[in-house]
Amino acid sequence: MDTLNPSEISELIKGRISQLDVAVQPQNEGTIVSVSDGIVRIHGLAEAQYGEMIEFPGGVFGMAMNLERDSVGAVVLGEYRELSEGMTARCTKRIAEVPTGPEMLGRVVDALGNPIDGKGPIQASSSSPIEKVAPGVIARQGVSEPVQLGIKCIDAMIPIGRGQRELIIGDRQIGKTAIAVDAIINQKGTGIKCIYVAIGQKMSTIANIVRTLEESGAMEHTVVVSASAAEPAPLQYIAPYSGCSIGEYFRDRGEDALIIYDDLTKQAWAYRQISLLLRRPPGREAYPGDIFYLHSRLLERAARVNADYVEQMTNGEVKGKTGSLTALPIIETQAGDVGAFVPTNVISITDGQIYLETDRFNAGIRPAMSPGISVSRVGGDAQVDFMRRLAGGIKLALAQYRELAAFSQFASDLDEATRRQLEHGERVEELMKQPQFSPMSVAEMGVSLFAANEGYLDNVPVNKVLDFERDLLSYMNSEHGEWMADITATGRHDDEVVEYMKKAVDEFASSHDYGAE
Amino acid sequence: MAELATLARPYASAAFDIAKDQNQLDRWSDVLRLLTQTIQVSEVRQLIESPVHSPARKALGLTDLLGDQLTDSMRRFIQVLADNRRLELIPQVREAFEVRLEEERRTLAVEVTAAVELSDSERQRFEDALRRRFERDINLSSIVDPSVLGGALIRAGDTVLDGTVRGKLEKLRAHMQRA
Repeated sequence: MDTLNPSEISELIKGRISQLDVAVQPQNEGTIVSVSDGIVRIHGLAEAQYGEMIEFPGGVFGMAMNLERDSVGAVVLGEYRELSEGMTARCTKRIAEVPTGPEMLGRVVDALGNPIDGKGPIQASSSSPIEKVAPGVIARQGVSEPVQLGIKCIDAMIPIGRGQRELIIGDRQIGKTAIAVDAIINQKGTGIKCIYVAIGQKMSTIANIVRTLEESGAMEHTVVVSASAAEPAPLQYIAPYSGCSIGEYFRDRGEDALIIYDDLTKQAWAYRQISLLLRRPPGREAYPGDIFYLHSRLLERAARVNADYVEQMTNGEVKGKTGSLTALPIIETQAGDVGAFVPTNVISITDGQIYLETDRFNAGIRPAMSPGISVSRVGGDAQVDFMRRLAGGIKLALAQYRELAAFSQFASDLDEATRRQLEHGERVEELMKQPQFSPMSVAEMGVSLFAANEGYLDNVPVNKVLDFERDLLSYMNSEHGEWMADITATGRHDDEVVEYMKKAVDEFASSHDYGAE
Repeated sequence: MAELATLARPYASAAFDIAKDQNQLDRWSDVLRLLTQTIQVSEVRQLIESPVHSPARKALGLTDLLGDQLTDSMRRFIQVLADNRRLELIPQVREAFEVRLEEERRTLAVEVTAAVELSDSERQRFEDALRRRFERDINLSSIVDPSVLGGALIRAGDTVLDGTVRGKLEKLRAHMQRA
């Protein structure tokens, strides 16, 4: 850093003083009547709007949530211990907003968009209200392009498209966040901007995720919005909306963005707390009546928008490009109970779910995705040809395997065909395992699936399947690197591709032996 | 818990309607002011808040105190307040009554806080300027508070115009801290 020039500083101060606008503006004021658990009741403030920022002494801000005849109920966005009865509160005539723009990338911010990563202020080019209405039907377009998560079992069986909302659901400590982080890492170089919203998590967990992203070079295309467990409930409540507004900036400029809400259960808790303290009537599980709307209005904002909309939003600056915001909300269940209130709500809002099972996790199948109940309702259309053709057989093999495996526990001897099917299924299941932080390209996934479909795995012992895959892929990448890159880029699938693949895998299989049982 | 102002509003508008019908708005306004002052006397407070006395006894106590200043309808109004155990609301009833009265007469109570006592010509200028701005007749009351340093703070209901030196300095502080 250069040495500080004292005159420079006083120039700066002079400049700032001259910028100050001291014109007298009429202001709407009220008096704090009560302060309790972050909820402030203000007498007066007749002109307050819903969701308006309220300024308290000491630079603390609140958000108006209850507009009553003689008073306003506001939640304090920050430290409320300094506030006391009788203090004045002012309307700011501003709805809560966050800074947006490409300057946000690589930064860690709080729920109001203030940087908390110690890298200095963010000179954002624009700002946006945190609560916005989702684009309407006219502005939308079908989901037709994929988002590759780089996780074989998901990209093969539960494909996700740009603009889709896909729920990740499962018990605690089962790898939900791991899927999300892998998804972010895999977007490196694809042009998809990522927003990771951490709600109600431990600060140490968030710091770990940020470090992981930095180490994998994924922070450059990522914004982390953090509302940790230590933040007041109102900030945990607004964090997803803030993150969504940051993501919408990219969507509305004809770019693609991916947002992860980790997790919405804790946001629902925060909102329940606020609602109960505001004395709104409790409903099922003590959640307020508008808990469905809390999540539906958030997830509706994830969308694929058409080129006309983008052109209109950018005033004609960006033409002929569609934009998308893909959402991966995360919900934590208690003991696998997907029938609880919040999980059922979010399941019904989203376009499918990735369901993670404790039993599979404990059996060492990681990611612990259950292929039976996980679905993607719109992603199939977006899947690239190459994957769609090869993944079909996998789903079938796993479905048959599950059925037979349960049945064969009672049978003493099985006929040849059944035994073969069981063995094949066992190997496919083994193949679906994938370690964390090792995303795969489309070509790599396809070649693996091809090997499974064509029976190359049937002579490989189950515990060697992953070794086989590792060796096969390193062989393909070194011997047929160009072809692999071409497939990843184009995603084409035709006779020529199949023939090439067959020849290459044959070559590999003939030179490698994994000791048939 | 409902706000006191919300509870007081129906009483105030009932009183206002009666007063208007009887063409006694000023008299009601005076009596409500008197009542507000009366119940601030500690003996009267004790009587009103006491759980021992019956509502009728409390109403009688108040009407006796004010004696012949009360009309019959005023007596009955106090009786109704007492029966509903809302005598404590009298200050809020008065406030709401005054708001209605201001609306009725298109006047506005404005409070001007300045560091020094306002001269008559200054008062006049404030009144003229405020009348143009709010398009109402102005009831000006002034408060002297040296801590505003200079300029004036104008308060009309919830709306505040802060033209004081203190307010400007605070603005400057907030502006510099945002750097």
